[in-house]
Amino acid sequence: MTATHDRPRTTIPASSNTPAIRRRPRRRVKRGLVLGVVGLAYLLWILLPMWYVAISSVTTAEQIGVRPMPIIPTDITLDNYVGLLTGNTGREQFGTIDIGTRLIDAIAQSFLVSSILVVLNLLIAGLCAYGMSRYPFRGSRPLHLGVIAARVVPPIAIVGPFFVVFRYADLLDTPWALVISYNVFTLPIAIMVLKDYFDKLPVEIEEAARLDGASRLQIIWVVVAPLARPGLVAAGVLIFLEAWSEFFYSLVLTNQLTVPPLLAGFQSAQQFNWNSLAAATILALIPPVVIVLIFQRQVVGALAAGYDK
Amino acid sequence: MALTLIRSASRAKVSPMSRADRQFGLRLSAPALALLAMLLVVPAVLTLVYSFHDVPPTGIAPGEFIGLTNYETVFGSPVFWSSLWVTIVFSLGFVVVSTCLGLGFALLLNEAFPGRGILRGLLVIPWACPWLVIGIIWRWFVDGSVGGLNGLLMHLGLTDGYIDFLSNPRSALIIAVIGASWRQACFAAILLLAGLQTLPKELNEAAAIDGAGPLGRFRHVTIPWLRPVLATVIVLNIIYAFLQFDVIFAMTQGGPGDATQVLSILIYRQLFVATDIGTGSALAVILALLSLVGGLITVRLLYRNEA
Repeated sequence: MTATHDRPRTTIPASSNTPAIRRRPRRRVKRGLVLGVVGLAYLLWILLPMWYVAISSVTTAEQIGVRPMPIIPTDITLDNYVGLLTGNTGREQFGTIDIGTRLIDAIAQSFLVSSILVVLNLLIAGLCAYGMSRYPFRGSRPLHLGVIAARVVPPIAIVGPFFVVFRYADLLDTPWALVISYNVFTLPIAIMVLKDYFDKLPVEIEEAARLDGASRLQIIWVVVAPLARPGLVAAGVLIFLEAWSEFFYSLVLTNQLTVPPLLAGFQSAQQFNWNSLAAATILALIPPVVIVLIFQRQVVGALAAGYDK
Repeated sequence: MALTLIRSASRAKVSPMSRADRQFGLRLSAPALALLAMLLVVPAVLTLVYSFHDVPPTGIAPGEFIGLTNYETVFGSPVFWSSLWVTIVFSLGFVVVSTCLGLGFALLLNEAFPGRGILRGLLVIPWACPWLVIGIIWRWFVDGSVGGLNGLLMHLGLTDGYIDFLSNPRSALIIAVIGASWRQACFAAILLLAGLQTLPKELNEAAAIDGAGPLGRFRHVTIPWLRPVLATVIVLNIIYAFLQFDVIFAMTQGGPGDATQVLSILIYRQLFVATDIGTGSALAVILALLSLVGGLITVRLLYRNEA
């Protein structure tokens, strides 16, 4: 709505009922060729690394070690997955414990941390964003800018104090260390996405409810919360993905408690081969990819809203 | 998001707020803001304080105040300068590759052709991958003994043996840029595609009637229209580039030698391997300032052109 001034002013001729450029056949062939080449490059860019991980996860080390490696494996095995899921990868760490057993635990912990954060953040970030959007108070604008600027602070720049305090409070290597510290990046995202969403939500329904005598709190729970569902879903998915993907704090504040640092641990374990790691990587990717495919529309909308105001 | 703040500045509130309303807003916002202040501002200030002290490895007490000595140590060390150089090269590569590829993908996916829906759907998959997993995938994809890239190059007849890309300083840095851009190009494409979809058809048609070819329309219609989105994308890419840790940690851990040791890897080593909290904190402050300045300069440049 404020953006009109920076659009190019191309004058449209008065006789704009002339049929738009009719494509000649040669031009269409050229267009098809260009699209085909770019489309192929796009597909290869996205799929080649994924394909490589996928075939590595269903083959043995001997098969993948053939030079050049087979692009389509002849012999498919699920042993890498079975080994991880039953805790029997045959590779031991510190004596007798099979390190594969830790993957299921890590997935459970990742789910726990991410879910707690989603619920907690939607509640407090939702209230905060709604307050800033509907009842702006003195200082709410600079505070909102501060929330946005918080994204620039390198997480690594503030991890030192967390480490010291958590060690003192005996919280190191617990999910709580992550539930607390992850707020640093999940809260700003949630506030930004939701504030943006509430700003676009028409106020008329709330005003009508107010005239009907509903209190401000009642309006939030009864009127706004259901209306804001798409925004809450988008914010929730972003929080979940952020928490699921986080690596650095989990590396520093826990002993491979969640999935990403455990995968890094697998990678540096001498006896752990690439094929098992590939299977673990695929298992770790399933939750975020499934969630993002289900909620694709809301997520893309929220991302695009970052500029479209 | 940088744009979010500029745009919303012009948003005027319709009805005047009563004092009670403003207090209500403050009470709603207080829990989240207090939590953020506690978790973000306090540690940030502590890090700043640490950077002026000779901190003991336990970090419980800040230790002796030593003024700018930590910063002098940092600026006097060749490791810092080479790491800064690596960070700048990595960031430039990352921003250019992911922005250009993202723009190319967005233009492709904005055209009408059969199968477009599936191709668009693919865009979110790299975006949803954790950065660390991206590092792992690319680390093994380019591996010198089992890698898929080597297999492909051999199948195509381009090489006759496997090459260990990550043991060569130059190719290791290039691969790190490509691996990190793999995800970021898709993110850029999501934003740019959304921007392209709002471009009114009439603008292109009118330009075509005025005699503009495809390239002319791209330069004079598409790019000006996308400028605000491009600005957002570039600013975010710069921030992501300066803060990148996971991909490089998973691929090379900063090696070979210090060929891919960006500042965030150097800070990690300083804080947790060398447990030198004083200089580590000074480095962290420098990195935070760099990413802030990088973002601000870009916003400036992109908006100056607009006037």
